[in-house]
Amino acid sequence: MSNAADVDALDFEPDDDDLMDEEAAVDVDASSPGAAATIPKLKSAITGGSAAAAAAPKKTKGRGFREETDTGRGNRMSGRFDSLDSDGGPGPERSIEGWIILVTGVHEEAQEDDLQNAFGEFGEIKNLHLNLDRRTGFVKGYALIEYESFEEAEKAIASMDGGELLTQTVNVDWAFSRGPFRRKNNRRRSPHGHRSRSPRRRF
Amino acid sequence: MAEEENGAAGGGEFYLRYYVGHKGKFGHEFLEFEFRPDGKLRYANNSNYKNDTMIRKEVFLTPSVLKECRRIVSDSEIMKEDDNNWPEPDRVGRQELEIVMGNEHISFTTSKIGSLMDVQTSKDPEGLRIFYYLVQDLKCFVFSLISLHFKIKPI
Repeated sequence: MSNAADVDALDFEPDDDDLMDEEAAVDVDASSPGAAATIPKLKSAITGGSAAAAAAPKKTKGRGFREETDTGRGNRMSGRFDSLDSDGGPGPERSIEGWIILVTGVHEEAQEDDLQNAFGEFGEIKNLHLNLDRRTGFVKGYALIEYESFEEAEKAIASMDGGELLTQTVNVDWAFSRGPFRRKNNRRRSPHGHRSRSPRRRF
Repeated sequence: MAEEENGAAGGGEFYLRYYVGHKGKFGHEFLEFEFRPDGKLRYANNSNYKNDTMIRKEVFLTPSVLKECRRIVSDSEIMKEDDNNWPEPDRVGRQELEIVMGNEHISFTTSKIGSLMDVQTSKDPEGLRIFYYLVQDLKCFVFSLISLHFKIKPI
């Protein structure tokens, strides 16, 4: 096992992975901070049965795996979550006031006007979020655009996906979906297993 | 896209959860969101200050949105960091960032970070800075998604 100093720079070794075991995780909690650094591999105490805890052994890292399970996560994320009425079927979902599309590959120096010019021709843009990278202050690379009608949004996607905006290729797709794009708790059978099952229109 | 299978565009597993909160005189106040592998975005915001409300929203995202989230994470290179030398969660508050991406699974915890000054004076300013900005970029992304879809002000 590597010493504490190594832990900074190195990923944990793959042969530590067999510690993905409930009992081991409970026994070796964070009772001794000094010991923690020498015990790199523990099952997540936080995830406790969530979607992330499934699947094959992974390289794990972080204090979250070594802490006690008193964060109350079960209470926080269980129970009722509000959602707009949806039949759960495939296809895009309407948002409360319109239809939202996502534009990716947006040039970091793009201005709202550039998006307005390119996407305004398919219908009036009701809302435009062109978020900035908090560190650089440049555009983060995506935009969210709201149209009032399905047809406007659909036309924007059909016309602009794979097109060019400020010398960069942009991808355009619906932002919200009426249902999951792959089965819940679907274990990875193969690394390619779920790639083509999505309801997305284009890519 | 030229990324590898488990990179930003890859089809490997992806899960992300962020939590920030504290327990104080207004009870347990927190913000939490998660991107699930099936595309579900869940958002919870519990503030007992003034009005005693818990906002809990969920919506399914398209693979394109998840892929953009993944790109933001991947570009940040947060998966290379480690929380060993970050300030530990304390009475003032706690942050958790858990990400499964491809074959890697991180679960980082730290205290609340008030400003870049806290980052600079920490024992791992480079790593904590990456965390600090990534969290802001993720929040910004989630707030846009939630506010556009539900027409609420997330905070």
